[in-house]
Amino acid sequence: MELELGETRQLLRAAVRKFLEAECSFERVRECEREGRADLKLWRALCAQGYLATPFPSELGGGDGGIKDAGLLVEEVARRAALLPIVEVLASALTLHHHGAGDDATTLLQQTLSGEALPVPALLEAQDDFDRIELRAPAADGLRGEKFFVDYATAASHHLVTARDSDGELALYVVATDDAALKCEALPNLGRTPQSRVRYDGARARRISGPDGVAFLVQVARALTCAQLLACMDASLSRTVAYTNVRKQFGRPLSTFQAVQHHAADMAMHIESSRFLTYETLDALDRGVASEEQVALTKASLSRALPDVVMTGHQLHGGQGYIEENDLYFFTIRGKDRCLAWGSAEECLGIVARGVEQKARWL
Amino acid sequence: MNYQWAAEHLAFRDEVETFIHEWRTPALLREYRAREGAGGGPLLTEYYAALQQKGWMRMCWPREHGGEGQNPIYRFILVETMEYWGMPYGNLTYTSIAPTLATHGSEEQKQRYLPGIWSGEYTFAIGYSEPNAGTDLASLRTRAEKVSGGWRVQGQKIWTSLAAQSTHIWLAVRTDPDRPKHAGISLMVIETGSEGVTIRPLPTLSGLTTYETFYDNVFVPDENLIGPLHGGWEIIMHALNHERVGLSPTGNLARNYDLLVEHLMKHAAQKLQDPVLRIRLAEMKMEVQRHRALAVCNAVSIARDEMSPGLASMAKVSGSELRYRMTNLAMDLLGRAGALTEAAGELAPGGGRQESTWRASPILRFGGGTNEVQRSIIAARHLGMAR
Repeated sequence: MELELGETRQLLRAAVRKFLEAECSFERVRECEREGRADLKLWRALCAQGYLATPFPSELGGGDGGIKDAGLLVEEVARRAALLPIVEVLASALTLHHHGAGDDATTLLQQTLSGEALPVPALLEAQDDFDRIELRAPAADGLRGEKFFVDYATAASHHLVTARDSDGELALYVVATDDAALKCEALPNLGRTPQSRVRYDGARARRISGPDGVAFLVQVARALTCAQLLACMDASLSRTVAYTNVRKQFGRPLSTFQAVQHHAADMAMHIESSRFLTYETLDALDRGVASEEQVALTKASLSRALPDVVMTGHQLHGGQGYIEENDLYFFTIRGKDRCLAWGSAEECLGIVARGVEQKARWL
Repeated sequence: MNYQWAAEHLAFRDEVETFIHEWRTPALLREYRAREGAGGGPLLTEYYAALQQKGWMRMCWPREHGGEGQNPIYRFILVETMEYWGMPYGNLTYTSIAPTLATHGSEEQKQRYLPGIWSGEYTFAIGYSEPNAGTDLASLRTRAEKVSGGWRVQGQKIWTSLAAQSTHIWLAVRTDPDRPKHAGISLMVIETGSEGVTIRPLPTLSGLTTYETFYDNVFVPDENLIGPLHGGWEIIMHALNHERVGLSPTGNLARNYDLLVEHLMKHAAQKLQDPVLRIRLAEMKMEVQRHRALAVCNAVSIARDEMSPGLASMAKVSGSELRYRMTNLAMDLLGRAGALTEAAGELAPGGGRQESTWRASPILRFGGGTNEVQRSIIAARHLGMAR
């Protein structure tokens, strides 16, 4: 049991943080939000630094890290509220790495890590349920059907699409987005991130993985989303502490009022337990021992915690946190959107509920 | 970064569990409950002797104080495992007074008290709080005045738990009323049977009894002063620190969950299929994991020899509040039977465990430093908020 990051990871985190603070001002994020687009220039710069490859083996040009390192990258990007498809691409690349089959998968992985390709998952359909997939495997005339809630669909070079084989099994197909038979319709959302409903009208699709790959993709993306939630909560709290330390009312800083301190303490407790559960889950994924229940429990826990944390942040900021000149709102809206992404608290609790007969872990 | 328990830690847990299964009999648990957590009954004495033999009680103490100098994480694992199985592992006499005596006591005092503590012959009640000195403990007013060969103590203490079962009272007294309030306090040991000590029982909501103790001109010999004169406040703080690692365990919460589910599986199999109830149980399981996260963070931080008062306070707040919420929900899920006490016999689910834990839960929130004080500590020490 060693909860410290260790020197290598501390250096990685510091480097990524410094890079993003220099390259990604909050004004730049606001501009992307207004234009409803991903920050592709920043994405290319991030890839050029080699950060994206950190979780992958050195043979692939990576840093021999793991899924925990992916978590750290995600956290840093989320702390900047940057409009980057970091979870989507890392989850896709990790799936290609661990479950990809054939030359298509290998090539796509290499191109992804070098920044040439940008694959994002396109899993959900109208039912918003990872298991209720009606899209059929592509026939001779290509892939036909719709996917919903596809994050960064228009920024992507490829979509990783789930569809059912003739025997009903789920498989993962890759579709290039320059295919004319693919149409994206923007879905404006609370998080102000680029999201689309995608229609495939005979798009060319190649199978790259079976049901194991699909399951892995969901688990990894769900766990990495927890790193986003953690960063949003942490950013909200650190801004709140800084603000209440300087904002004076009745002649004294707000932070000296017990009512204020106790709210902040509750935020901190949510964050510390969230941090432990998130990295414990990422660690278990790294070791290949994470159960679906563990990942779902962690996601449920963070998805439940985040609204309480960010809304308390607003409460303690008062009007100052309500205006969009203040950066606080980024973490509120992105965070809540991420609560719903890759399994809401309700959906994830439903997974935990299947195994309530199993004993509770206490060590 | 590694979230796995080391093999030797898991092996230790297994060893503790094997020992527990060897000793865990209904008769022992009955005696433990009847003694309200004090040592001294025949079965408990035998059990504590076996526990001593294992060397687990002192394994994390420094070698110079008679321990093995093991990493405190072993203490955490011991506490969690004992808590899961509801087994005694020493009251505050063992876990707080003894290590404090080992650090602050004279050689003669260690010889005088420690062997009796190890054998279970001595139980110390703690006399800190007073009717007007609770959370603001440093304002305590029980006086000790210097007389030839010792001190005369005059005053009143409250919440002197185990006083009636104890052999000694570990007493905080004011030895200099003219100094600033933290700097005029000393620590003394009083034999419970001393002339002038009166004990009045105060039955509590939990079913256990605490005590009010009165000190009417009680003589305390010089050799019973622990540590330096007027140096009591540091000793009190030291004694509290010894409790930090096993503070607010997850073991008993997980056990509570497991027993509830076991009961539902056995007696309400159909109810257990209700999807709404299953979601409630899933939430409960999630909350236990949230608490485990804070408890482990705190233990690992102590094991690294870091001072993180914020983490200790988080674990305390989280565990104590969850204990209430969990039993509250469990009782709701059980319906009317959830309110039946142990005395109702077979109809009481799990021997009335949910009901009795719910009833006992307030003390965990206000005791050991109220949760309000803990939250202020988190704000100041963990978050660096201006005070």
